[in-house]
Parts: sequence; C-alpha cells; structure tokens
Amino acid sequence: MIQKLIRGTRRALGLHHPGRNLVVWPDDIFLISYPKSGNTWTRFLVANLAYPDTPADFSNINTLTPDPEGLSKRELARMPRPRILKSHQYFDPRYKRVIYVVRDPRDVALSQFHFHRKRKVIGDDYPIEKFIARFVAGETSPYGSWGENVISWLATRQNRPGFLLLRYEDMLEDTARELSKVAAFLGLPADPERIGIAVDRSSADQMRKMERTQARLWSSTKDTRQDVPFVRSAKSGGWRESLPDSAVEQLEAAWAHLMVYLQYELRFPERATNFDSRFLEPILSGTAR
Amino acid sequence: MIYGIKRVLKYAFGRDIAGRTLAVRPDDTFIVSYPRSGNTWTRFLVANLLHPGEPASFSNIERLVPDAEAQSSRYLRSLPSPRTIKSHSYFDPRYPRVIYVVRDPRDVVLSYYDFSRKYRQIGDDYPLSRYVSDCVQGRLISADWGTWAENVASWVYARGARPGFLLLRYEDMKAETARELQRIADFYGIGLTAERTTTVVERSSAERMRELEKTEGKNWVSTRDKRSDIPFVRTATSGGWRTKLSAESVAEIEAAWGPIMAQLGYELVTRKLEAAEPAFAGTAPKRGENRG
Repeated sequence: MIQKLIRGTRRALGLHHPGRNLVVWPDDIFLISYPKSGNTWTRFLVANLAYPDTPADFSNINTLTPDPEGLSKRELARMPRPRILKSHQYFDPRYKRVIYVVRDPRDVALSQFHFHRKRKVIGDDYPIEKFIARFVAGETSPYGSWGENVISWLATRQNRPGFLLLRYEDMLEDTARELSKVAAFLGLPADPERIGIAVDRSSADQMRKMERTQARLWSSTKDTRQDVPFVRSAKSGGWRESLPDSAVEQLEAAWAHLMVYLQYELRFPERATNFDSRFLEPILSGTAR
Repeated sequence: MIYGIKRVLKYAFGRDIAGRTLAVRPDDTFIVSYPRSGNTWTRFLVANLLHPGEPASFSNIERLVPDAEAQSSRYLRSLPSPRTIKSHSYFDPRYPRVIYVVRDPRDVVLSYYDFSRKYRQIGDDYPLSRYVSDCVQGRLISADWGTWAENVASWVYARGARPGFLLLRYEDMKAETARELQRIADFYGIGLTAERTTTVVERSSAERMRELEKTEGKNWVSTRDKRSDIPFVRTATSGGWRTKLSAESVAEIEAAWGPIMAQLGYELVTRKLEAAEPAFAGTAPKRGENRG
C-alpha cells in the first residue's frame, strides 16, 4: 500500500518511466527493434546523422534518442520535437513514423544469451538449449517473442507509408547505403560526406572505445558485469559456430515462414513443419497498400 | 494537481481502469475483437456455456466475463481464476489464450457509426462517408484500438498459427451458431449435449439480448448515460453494408484493407471496378497520408 502510494505519487509528478504509456506526439519518430538486434547501433547512426554537431556517445545518447523506458515522463515531455525515440515495443497504433530493424533470430538469441549473462539474469553455466526454448516461447523478454514482435509490426505496417524496414545484415554489408534510406525516410540531407561522418562516428570500434570509458554512465550498462561487453561481435552469422544444431532447429521450426520472408536462409528447411509461405503472402507482398 | 491526486488515490486503491495495465494470469482466456464485431454476443455465448446455472444478462456479464477496458484493476483482481476477460486490444503478447472474433469491416464500420452516435461522439448529421474515411485512416473519436486491419492483422499474424488461439468469424457464428459454439466448447475443453447447446444459443439470442437491453441497459457500464434511442444490440445480421454503404465507401475500405479481407474470406466487390474505372482512385487513401 505504502509502495503503491509512492509509485502513484511518482506518477502524478511525472517522475516514473512511462514505457508503453508514453504520451505520443504525431511527429514522433520511433527506432524500433527486438532487443539485441542492432538498436543501439541504429540509435548512434541516426543521432549522428540528425545531429552532426553533437557526436553521439553513451553519455548523451539518451538525450539525443530518448528511451521511454529509461527516462521520466517529465523529461520526455520536455524534449524538443520532433523526438527520435528508441523502443523495443511490439505493435502500437499510436506510433506513426517507425524505423524497424530486424536481425536474424539465431544471432538475436545468441546475443541475448550473452546479454543476460552480463546482466546476471543467468549464470555462465546456464544451458543454451534451455535458454533458446524460453526465447522461442517469449519468456526471456517483456516485448513478446521475436516472431510476435516482428510480425506485429510487419502485418500492420509493411508496405505502408510511415514505415521503414531495415535488416541488420544489410546495415553491416553497406552501412552508408542503408543510412541513406533512413535519411530519405526522415527527410534529412543525404550527401555522401554527411552520411560518411555518421557511419564513422558510429562504427563498432568507436562504440567499443566509448563503452570502455563510459559504460558506468549509461543506464543500460551501469551495474552490469563489466567483463561481458555490451557492444559484442557486431557481426552476423555468429550462430553458425556458437549455437548447437538442436537450438537452431528450435528457432527455425518456430519462425520458418518469417525467416524465409526476411531472407534468412534456413539450415534445416526440410524440418520446418509449420512452414506455410502463403500465410504471410497477401499482406506482406506488394498487394498490400 | 487535483486531477493528479485523484489519480494517485485511484491507483493506490486499485480503482484505475485496468486496460493494458491489467495483471494477466497464466490461465486467463481473452475474448478479443475490434469493436462492433460481435464481442458482446460472444461474451454471452461463453458466459452461458461456462455458467449454466446463471443465465447471462447485462447485470451479471461484468462478473461472468468482465471487460478489461471498463473495470478497475482491483475488481479484476478480485475475480476467481480461471477468468475469461473481454478486450478490444490490439496484439498483447501477455494474453495466453485468445478467442478472436473478426467481422466483415464493411459491416463493422456501419455498426460503429451508429455506436458513435449513441455515444454522442458524432451527431446524427455526421456524413457516413466521412465516418468511413475516419475509420480507414485511423481518425476515430474513440479509444485507440488501431484501425480494423491493424487490430485484426496484429492478432491473426502473431498468433494465428499457434495453439491457444481460436479465430471466429461473426458471419460463421450467425450462419452456424451451434457449430461455432462447439468450437468454443472444444477450446475450453467442455463437453456439449444438443440440449445444452440449444439452451446456450437461446440464452444468447439477439431477441433476448434486445429485451435485456431494454430492462437493464440503463445500468450496464457500456450503455449507461448513452443515447437510449439508438440500441446497443443492433441488427445482429451481416451484409447490411450492401444497401447502406455507398460504392465509394466500399471502395475506400477495400482499397485500404483488401488483402487481409480476402485472406479472411470476405469477398471484394470493387477490385475489378477499380481497375476499370480509375475514378475510384480519387477516393482511396493516398500514399503518404497518415493511416494509423
């Protein structure tokens, strides 16, 4: 009861983190992804593109691209508009301008496994198969399962105005090309020089350097294990070496249709039993306007 | 500030409306649909199925199958498990078991128009065609459930291929009520006799619900203080759009939501017309418009 009064008072004063209850403005821009899908990298890229006079680092990233789960309602209300907000949320109809970053779920699962070790949610000896089973069931995250989160956005917004889908793997392959898409989407200048500066300032090397000196300043890394880095491999395909076949099978069996749509090649296509490409076809193909 | 204090106290005492902050239990079942899609009828069917000793009415439905978006957190907490809860929410990953009712959006929009007049959100002189555009473009003066297509697609695609999800079409429920009731009973693992089926269907009939609305409507949370000259239980039929909606409105709906309508088995009537007569393109929502 006392705790509830305190929580309620914090709410009334706007000191709580609004999360899903964020007050949304129509011009808000959202950078959304499932956790461990390149969200922080995207934040750096977009921040460095949109605010070239303020190089992004871990001490200012929450101000440049605010996180409704890391800042108070009051702070968020005072941000200059249009705000560029970071989010991991599943579909929310109030979000009208969305950049959604998707990553191969096999790499996402592996990255989240290490992230949970870093945050001391699980120990170093936690069996990865067990983690993957919980990952598939959506039990390792408050944002739904990977498949639910991705499909909730694709099914409602893909091929509609105000929605830009980026693949993490494409961003790695040609960062400048993908960032140019972002610039066009946001109506920002897209000259090669400006794009190039933003890409360099957001490189994995740069981010690793900054993490070493600033990890204790940033809400997402302070009070976590400092021997496990937040900026991890920044590569794709790590699952090929590090995930056992049984784990890969579990992931592919759950989301084969989505993975194929997103062009993530299956290792066990013959075992993807619930695969039905027609399921997604009408809404995701060009016929959906 | 007074408003703030009121909110603090409401929250502390659990009097706040649960909505999306509802504490979900692992054995909860949700009846979800877009508004005006047969949700209340489904609530009656389920309540009469689960509680044969207590015929459902507007005075007990909030206890038998409570409304997450009209009842307080505290009230919902007080109800025994397993609960069946009504909701209009778009996809929420916390809902473990979901009965999703979908209805032809052309009828939904028509019904929503009357509902908005009943709720005094619009006057009787508000043009229906403008209301259709509001619906399609997500500009309704009501709580934000997303557009019809967003709400439906978010559930059907996130959960459609998984156990714990039952998709019902309002039109099938109208045509074959007993058969669809059997599917609901199977979902709950309840055995049904022919006799019980008849009782459940009769106790949930549109005629009975209309009678109950007359006597109890003034007290039910969803009809209290609303215009009583427009009924909540409307025609309870399908296909009304064929005579009531203009060809332009039908074209506008189908242009926006055609693919998912087709996926759900709702026949499109303007597809070919549209190709033949580009005039319709003028009324369809254009790219770049806010579509929420």
